[in-house]
Amino acid sequence: MEKWVCTVCGYVYDPGSGDPDGGIEAGTPFDSLPSSWVCPLCGASKDQFEKQ
Amino acid sequence: MKMRQIKPRIRWLGAVDWDRRLFDALIPLPDGTSYNAYLVEGSDATALIDTADPTKTDVLLGQLEGIERIDVVVVQHVEQDHSGSLPAVLERYPDAHILCSPKAQPMIADHLGVDPDRIKAVEDGEAFSLGDRTLEFIHAPWVHWPETVLTYVREDGVLFTCDLFGSHLATSELFASGSDRILASAKRYYAEIMMPFAHMIRGHLDRLADYALDLVAPSHGPVHDDPAFIIDAYRHWVNDPPGNLALIPYTSMHGSTEQMVHHLVAALAERAIRVEVFDMAQTDLGAYAMALVDAATVVFATPTVLVGPHPNIVFAAYLTAALRPKLRHAAVIGSYGWAGKAAERTQSLCAGLKVEWLDAVFTRGLPTRETFAALDGLADAIAARHSEPEPPQ
Repeated sequence: MEKWVCTVCGYVYDPGSGDPDGGIEAGTPFDSLPSSWVCPLCGASKDQFEKQ
Repeated sequence: MKMRQIKPRIRWLGAVDWDRRLFDALIPLPDGTSYNAYLVEGSDATALIDTADPTKTDVLLGQLEGIERIDVVVVQHVEQDHSGSLPAVLERYPDAHILCSPKAQPMIADHLGVDPDRIKAVEDGEAFSLGDRTLEFIHAPWVHWPETVLTYVREDGVLFTCDLFGSHLATSELFASGSDRILASAKRYYAEIMMPFAHMIRGHLDRLADYALDLVAPSHGPVHDDPAFIIDAYRHWVNDPPGNLALIPYTSMHGSTEQMVHHLVAALAERAIRVEVFDMAQTDLGAYAMALVDAATVVFATPTVLVGPHPNIVFAAYLTAALRPKLRHAAVIGSYGWAGKAAERTQSLCAGLKVEWLDAVFTRGLPTRETFAALDGLADAIAARHSEPEPPQ
């Protein structure tokens, strides 16, 4: 599964790890993240991410 | 000032800081500020909502003389202008424990050295009873840190919002309706602190629509006794498309760039575009941020210094991108002595901005007729875009 990078702060969303603090299980692809999901480091929205 | 009642069992306390002129070593405070805490006294327990900046701990403790017990301290936000007096409060009230969001727990330990055993995390929607008063916690992250929460007192319709809806405004008036500067002050605050999180605020506003609000009590500035006023203002700032406004942050060393700015301002005004100009060597950052709330276009104007833009414009570009405004178009204009990459470097400093970059206009030495013609072309390009109908969202 592809990793996606936050263009604001550089955080890498790795589907293999998910974002447990944000309620996202490991194995969740980026496209399946809810539209309300934001970067855990800087609060940027999904539309600020790019495929790595 | 002594504690002041906002509802029968709810009192404002904290400090009005008339003299403070700089926040975060960055943000000018032309009107000072205040640090607001609130005391909620229920039949069975007493809660303190936030504390105050550590420079005002004595004021807060003085106000709490005669309050024999505090059962819980709600830490809505760990930033030190609100949490700074927490250690002193916890020392005075050894039986008090802290309620905060899960993300706040480690932050309180890191920033304030508080014993983790005194901290209890609350879930989104969780309620805490003070007897005949109930506190309901609303997780509202990113206004403006990841751990921020709001607290609602159901029985009185009072919503404590910490920094959200706040203003850096020192005033003797307890309520916003007593101030003729509240909208400008609140907008400045929004622009400086909240604007990067406009998308989060949209969600929070939707959620708050379900709450009966009698008072909105922030951590800075007066209490909103007309909640609809401030909520409506925020709705506009986070939802409205940008207006017919172009900003020109500039710096000029020997006048070439300044001449170009003057020509562009006139060209834009002739095309019925509203323009605001900011001399970055002496601009109030808050005023620039406020203008970004509504602007559609930014034109950075800079001479070339050591190959790149003047450091003042480096700052302007970096700040503009960091605030994540709703800009749609951008350009760089300026001058150089023999060579340089000012345009490219300015652009890369705000690469995060999702804007259309219009062609740069640079002159070697003094601006010529060709330079001015190119600036007219830039003004035409901006005018064409400002008059386009709204793209579908």
